[in-house]
Amino acid sequence: MDTQIFSILLEDGIASGAIYALLALTMVLVFATTRILFVSQGEFVTFSGLSFASFQLGIAPQIVWLLAVLALVVTALEVVSALRLGQGKRVPWLVAIHLALPLAVVGACLWLAPLKPPVLVQAALSVALVTALGPAVYRLAFEPVANASVRTLFVIAIALHFILQGFGLLFFGAEGYRVDPLIDLDVSLGATVLKGQAMLVLATLAVLTAALYVFFEYTLLGKALRATAINRIGARIVGIKTPLAGRIAFTMSAFIGAIAGILAVGSTTLYYDSGFLIGLKAVLGAICGAMLSYPLAIAGAIGVGILETFSAFWVSAYTEAVVFSALIPVLLWLSLYAMPSEEGQEL
Amino acid sequence: MSVRALIVAAALLLIGPWLLPPFYITLANYVGLASIVVLGLVLLGGAGGLMSFGQAAFVGIGAYTTAYLSIAYNLSPWLSLFVGLAVTGGAALLLGALTLRLTGHYLPIGTLGWSVSIYYVFANIEALGKHDGLSDIPPLTAFGFSLQSSNAFFYLIWIVALLALVSINNILDSRFGRAVRSGGRTTPMAEALGVNTARVSMTIFIYCALLASVSGWLYAHFMRFVNPTPFGLGTSIEYFFMAVIGGATSAWGAIVGAGFYIIGKQWLQTLIPAFTGRVGQYDVIVFGLIVIAILHYARQGLVPSLALLLPRKAGGRVAHHVVGSAEPLAHRDKPQPGTKLLQIDRMEKRFGGLAAVNGVSFDIQAGEIMALIGPNGAGKTTMFNLITGVIPKTAGRISFAGHSLDGLGSRQVMERGITRTFQHALLRPHMSVLENVALGAHTRGRSGLIAAALRLERKEEARLLAEAKKQLERVGLGDQFDAAADSLPLGKQRLIEIARALASDPLLLLLDEPAAGLRYEEKVALAKLLDNLRTEGMTLLLVEHDMDFVMNLVDRVVVMDFGEKIAEGKPDEIQTNPKVIEAYLGSVDECSPLKHAV
Amino acid sequence: MEMHKLLITATAIALSTLAARADESTLTVGATVTATGPAASLGISEKNAIELMPAKIGDTPVKYVILDDGGDPGRAVRNARQLVEEYKADVILGSTTIPNSIAIGDIANQTKTPQIALAPIPASGFVFSLPQSADLMVEGLVEHMKENKVKTAAYLGFADSLGDHNYAAFLKFAKPAGIDVVTNERFGRNDTSVTAQVLRVMQAKPDAVFISASGTPAALPQIELKQRGYKGQSYFLHGVINQPFLRVGGKALEGTIATAGPFSVAKELKDSNPIKAHALAMIEPYEAKHGAGSANSFAAYAWDGYELIKAALPKALAKAKPGTEAFRVALKDAIENSKDVVGAGAVYTMTATNHNGLDGRARVLVRIKDNGFHPIQ
Repeated sequence: MDTQIFSILLEDGIASGAIYALLALTMVLVFATTRILFVSQGEFVTFSGLSFASFQLGIAPQIVWLLAVLALVVTALEVVSALRLGQGKRVPWLVAIHLALPLAVVGACLWLAPLKPPVLVQAALSVALVTALGPAVYRLAFEPVANASVRTLFVIAIALHFILQGFGLLFFGAEGYRVDPLIDLDVSLGATVLKGQAMLVLATLAVLTAALYVFFEYTLLGKALRATAINRIGARIVGIKTPLAGRIAFTMSAFIGAIAGILAVGSTTLYYDSGFLIGLKAVLGAICGAMLSYPLAIAGAIGVGILETFSAFWVSAYTEAVVFSALIPVLLWLSLYAMPSEEGQEL
Repeated sequence: MSVRALIVAAALLLIGPWLLPPFYITLANYVGLASIVVLGLVLLGGAGGLMSFGQAAFVGIGAYTTAYLSIAYNLSPWLSLFVGLAVTGGAALLLGALTLRLTGHYLPIGTLGWSVSIYYVFANIEALGKHDGLSDIPPLTAFGFSLQSSNAFFYLIWIVALLALVSINNILDSRFGRAVRSGGRTTPMAEALGVNTARVSMTIFIYCALLASVSGWLYAHFMRFVNPTPFGLGTSIEYFFMAVIGGATSAWGAIVGAGFYIIGKQWLQTLIPAFTGRVGQYDVIVFGLIVIAILHYARQGLVPSLALLLPRKAGGRVAHHVVGSAEPLAHRDKPQPGTKLLQIDRMEKRFGGLAAVNGVSFDIQAGEIMALIGPNGAGKTTMFNLITGVIPKTAGRISFAGHSLDGLGSRQVMERGITRTFQHALLRPHMSVLENVALGAHTRGRSGLIAAALRLERKEEARLLAEAKKQLERVGLGDQFDAAADSLPLGKQRLIEIARALASDPLLLLLDEPAAGLRYEEKVALAKLLDNLRTEGMTLLLVEHDMDFVMNLVDRVVVMDFGEKIAEGKPDEIQTNPKVIEAYLGSVDECSPLKHAV
Repeated sequence: MEMHKLLITATAIALSTLAARADESTLTVGATVTATGPAASLGISEKNAIELMPAKIGDTPVKYVILDDGGDPGRAVRNARQLVEEYKADVILGSTTIPNSIAIGDIANQTKTPQIALAPIPASGFVFSLPQSADLMVEGLVEHMKENKVKTAAYLGFADSLGDHNYAAFLKFAKPAGIDVVTNERFGRNDTSVTAQVLRVMQAKPDAVFISASGTPAALPQIELKQRGYKGQSYFLHGVINQPFLRVGGKALEGTIATAGPFSVAKELKDSNPIKAHALAMIEPYEAKHGAGSANSFAAYAWDGYELIKAALPKALAKAKPGTEAFRVALKDAIENSKDVVGAGAVYTMTATNHNGLDGRARVLVRIKDNGFHPIQ
């Protein structure tokens, strides 16, 4: 292998790794605030990427109907529970946030899609669509059992993966989609060519990481989320509601996943079932940071991307086997430092 | 478990092929194959608290081994079964050594990684037919009969499945099974009672891998075709879902879960298109929703949740074992009263820069009750943990009955005769009172998984249970041995914990706040019990906040504050010690318990 | 616990689901396809084609039962059993993937039910296989390579069963043609990047690249090859002949060559070619329902299953009634004696030893030009 090939592989590995890193970030965020190992996050990536591709063909993605139905169910549940608690005054607010907002997104998608708006508007619509799914999914699948064991929550996340992937097949079909890169600009740098799209992914990663840092360090909401992560019961006592923390975490998770989807579909073909492997590789990255550390999760995820590219170069038929076996030494290393967990519950 | 249920199941099995139309025999075969794997998950996950997403890979090893050997070397399938078991056992041992050290969510992720990897290994080995796999696997023959028909296989699969079921039920209801259900590494309690949790985890991991391997062997000769697809992550997740649906705490749940999943899936396929006109795309959504619904509304799974609806019969699974008199267990000789039993010399524990225990020395004499008191944060519980080896000490020496305890872990300390209880009664909620107490006698028995599965340990088991019953009677709960441990009030739970500790035949009993949260009458009864134990020659050390309780009961008191010993002496000396009064009154702890006592 | 009550209930529920078989004269066609999972795009096309099949052949009413096996041979076998034993299927169509089709073959032979596999598998006994074999198609590609003086060729294929078969076939024909196969790189359907594999290929500096994949995933390597400045000729197999592939691959596909069944270029076939009319008869309703350019060779395989059954039915009906073993054996014999049966994808002539029935006529080479497939004359 010469240096040129090495540098191309490295660039490619980092570019894939940056996508995993985006997801690994939110993996850590969601785990810290809700204790959910959210393996189905990859589905947000495919939903957004495939919706984006659908908009480019001038068709509103059918997934809007899923959002509409979920919004109706969530609103019904919220309104009923508010009325039961005698908080009738909150009903208009609940309807606005749980129903009107998602339906506005649905409406915008249906209205704008045939008009073929500018690419950035299409991307924004796709991101809005998927972001709105995040809190709804949390509300229905996780919130009622927010205090269950890590294991139970993990199993729900896996079941959710099957459900969302099933909807993916239903709404987007089995064929793959791909769009033109958002930036079709290649910069020659010595012997290697830097792909514009790869640069865009890295820049997004940097910006989102910085934004998350500012959010957690300098905003009240961010501090509240951190407090929840450190001590759920304590946070509840001082007035931060766990459900709220969960919904915010899932909104952010869906938002970042959606952005990753827009970026991914510009550099590769996405399928209805692409999300699972992408999500699992992000989990591998997040595990490197023991599901706690954001910088280590990013480093781990980029490491996964690089490992993947290099093993595809040397033993392409075994790529996944190599990537997932690399998990074992990482876990072993972690286990030397891990204390027995508090988790005493059976599944 | 109910023998009646088993007989009914066996009878159903026998007449099954006459009752069921041919297609349902085929389906039942697949249900049986899956049940064998899911039964392993019941032991591993439901009882042992370990989560594996790697079972399909073990099925694959069993299936591929027999397929390869019987095609390439014409080896008899009956022999290749054992080769497959050996290969699977080896793989499980290796994987277990790598991943079982990991707790919490790392184990499922680790097995998940292994599951993805092994698929590509199967799919890329030339001798295993790569992605196409191996076909024309010879059928099984037994006594000159070819077991080729679906019906013949139905009997074979279900005999194996029922044997697996019986073995799992036997294991759960045994000394080894109690160790499995003790919570393993998730709680300090198991090791403190002498359970070698690492070994128990490894044993059940291998056993359930072997069950999966047998299922794979049957699969290969039933299908007479193997390829990598059914041994990947997707199938492992499906097995897991079956366990969740059926109920991972019940062996019958494995069979119901497998049946529900496989028959349901086949059924939905033909049912859903009738409404929607679309094939195959809804069933995965529907099953995902079912799993979530079960986790929301019946987290224990179908069988345990439905069992709750049935009237519970008087007398549980263990009642009949206790009937009849078993030979009592051998017990240790008590040391001569007044001799030094435990010697603690300049004990020190630092967490970073903070000294939680700093140069504390004291002795305990055989036959006395000593109390360790002090304000909150004085280091009493840390001291307990140091004595019992739950955490390693930074410096100091400790010896017990003349032997050094330095460097020993919690299990080894316990084996030398020191048993403890915990501040929050750590009872196993899904076990009966008697089983909880019998767990205490763990180190007084020997039998392991195999003896339990084959019921070769009934004599020993009867002795262990008789001992547990005896200790329950000793603490005054002889009539409640069959209740669920978590159904009893706190006071009784504490007594159960003491009975459990007694069942280990200790020389020294360490009690961590035994009176906390008890009502007055309960405290009186507890004091009487401890007094009786002293009379019988037991040595006790207790950490306690309730000064009335302490001062009227114990022989000597050690007082700690900020990690250091500030006083030691008889209760009346302590109560007038100015340093002690200073420590309690000067502390920020507003509800200082000494106020009442002083 | 009174578990036996549960067991009894479960059994009762199971029994109550037994579907009734249609009445005596109805022909039952059972299908198991891979409509979910990795091969879903293939299986869904086949399912769509089956849904278009007429409810009557001559005077005989036909009942179709379609099941999904999700790519798992175990499920394919369960489906086949259900089709044969519960629905009393007279013939099985399927499955989509090679392993699943092989797994079903055992049941076809055991129960004496003709199986028309929609994946290229070795076929004998009661098993028929309609797609062009790997050998047939790869041979065509190699001929074209040889004519164009290709000396070295790279192989870049799916990490699956199809990838294995095509590689074996490629080696088999390339050597006698004097072509050196310089790489055996594999990629997954869902891979987000094939840069590494493409670099391997480029390093070997081959005159041509054989990308052995089906459907949209086949486009990614070609896009990457173009981006990396590869100038040689790329070849595909007939699995790529559909609109989504062109949509995903776009400009990068211009000038590449693929094998195809005559079906794929039906509109450009001469009117004298008998396949044209049969192909269009299927394409028109199919595309009316699923969109222009949606019909592909997988749909054609399934459709030709119907064509073969239709041609064989009168002979079989003369011997026995549907639903009987005698009928199934007669149907198998009749299909085995199909002579020049024209389908949407090929003209089939089966014999007792040839259960595939295709010849060179089932293969054309097409070049991708102006976002369309055009036969190379």
